[in-house]
Amino acid sequence: MSDTLSTILLVREALYGALVIALACSVLGVYVVLRRIVFVGAALAQLSSAGIALALFLSGLGVGGELTHHPVNMALIVTIAGAMFFGLGGGGRRGVPPDAVIGVTYAVAAAAGILLIAKARAGEAHDIFLQGNILGITQFDTLVLLAVAVPVLLVHYVFYKEFLFVSFDRETARTLGYRVTFWNLLLYLTLGLVIAYAMQFAGVMLVFNFLVLPAVTGLLLSTSMRGIFLVAVASATLSAVLGFSLSVPFDLPSGPAIIAVSGALALLAWAWRRLSPRH
Amino acid sequence: MTALVTFDKATLGYGRHVVLSDLSFEIPEGDFLGLVGPNGAGKTTVLRAILGSLEPMSGAVTVRPGLRFGYVPQRDSVENFPLRVIDVVLMGRYDRIGLGRRPSVEDKRRAMQALEHVGIAHLAGQQLSALSGGQKQRTLIARALVGEPNVLVLDEPTNGMDLVSTTSILSLVRDLHERDNLTVLMVSHALNEVANYVNRIALTLEGAFRIGHVDEIVNAGLLSSMYGIPVEVDAIHGHRIIVAKRGRVTGDIGTIPDRP
Repeated sequence: MSDTLSTILLVREALYGALVIALACSVLGVYVVLRRIVFVGAALAQLSSAGIALALFLSGLGVGGELTHHPVNMALIVTIAGAMFFGLGGGGRRGVPPDAVIGVTYAVAAAAGILLIAKARAGEAHDIFLQGNILGITQFDTLVLLAVAVPVLLVHYVFYKEFLFVSFDRETARTLGYRVTFWNLLLYLTLGLVIAYAMQFAGVMLVFNFLVLPAVTGLLLSTSMRGIFLVAVASATLSAVLGFSLSVPFDLPSGPAIIAVSGALALLAWAWRRLSPRH
Repeated sequence: MTALVTFDKATLGYGRHVVLSDLSFEIPEGDFLGLVGPNGAGKTTVLRAILGSLEPMSGAVTVRPGLRFGYVPQRDSVENFPLRVIDVVLMGRYDRIGLGRRPSVEDKRRAMQALEHVGIAHLAGQQLSALSGGQKQRTLIARALVGEPNVLVLDEPTNGMDLVSTTSILSLVRDLHERDNLTVLMVSHALNEVANYVNRIALTLEGAFRIGHVDEIVNAGLLSSMYGIPVEVDAIHGHRIIVAKRGRVTGDIGTIPDRP
């Protein structure tokens, strides 16, 4: 027990970083789930990993200078470009259904990431993009994550009313003078920012998990927006803490352990809802 | 009566595709206008031009400065969010509340007042998703009213409703028009329903557009010529009944055989 505790204390910076990612992703995830754009989250995470792979590939060739020296720069550019694309409708008006465009983006970005890493001189195992390297988070990384997450969450707190309205009923919002495209783009921009930074440490799977499962748990356990946000955040942070704590004594990879806990919480929430007489 | 909205030789469409051309008409203050036509005939295009989200390709659509629209969308077009009825109604005041600010006690009082006005104050704390179609429609009407509009605009308010709910919603809209002297624009594909409630009808059909008092539009000759099929107009206890005559009907929908 004391060995486990001391090991957790050793990786506490990683836990802090995971908690910041859990918090930011779970708040944005409520919109992702309610607006039924779950796979936009997955596609953006995959685009972010492709951006990192592109940076590593170009860096190996000695191309790009500062832009490719820090892979997060390229990940940011690619992810935010993707977020803007989806925020403006994702090309769905050109005859291809929007969900098909998301699928194409996901598949192409995933393949491009793997191919670029395979040929990158500064290559790393490509599964790092799927599983992440959450244990590698340092104090500096946590501060960087906070520098991104705090302004994003502040924007979402201050403009909650605006994000809610354009997400719930964009046509009416438009008739009341809301610049719907602007608010949509801002929502997608914040989503892209959080995903691009979180992806570096948490990997595609864990980011996707934090975007979807806590919000689903919130939807199952609560019937108000405030309740869903609170349950989503509580569920995401609990998953991060429990996942970390369980991964140490059982020698499990932290990311999948956190996802397993998230899945278990969602399952419990579903069972509770099924058994609850008021539902 | 002063004109709230004026169409002056306006041609409407998307890109290079013209949907309706050379429209000239006014919506005066106190009007109760039904915008009627089948799906794809251009009702939504006219509506978007009125609401300002579509610029005319040529001509002009002028809206009186400071005019506020209370828009009631098709109830299936709003997302299925976990929101209480009162929260949805409060959205109608969001633009008055201002960016980044939360609704005040006064906003909540007005939202309750709007719910009372449409007869569902007792449902304020209920989830929107738990309501019937008619109750949901009343919630959206209350949301439009809480913004204190000059014009109430309803998009297919009775779509998918049964007879009782349809009558109840149309009577409510008629009451709002008469009691509050509210200008109302109602978009619908159901000529039979609209013809018995509104004062004027604008009929759009495959590029054609006619507007006038209900009696001018709802007559067998005009409707037969616009729809391209024989149409009969009857009345039962003062209610207009519009029916297509039985027999061979040809057109986009194919041929309906004669009854034996």
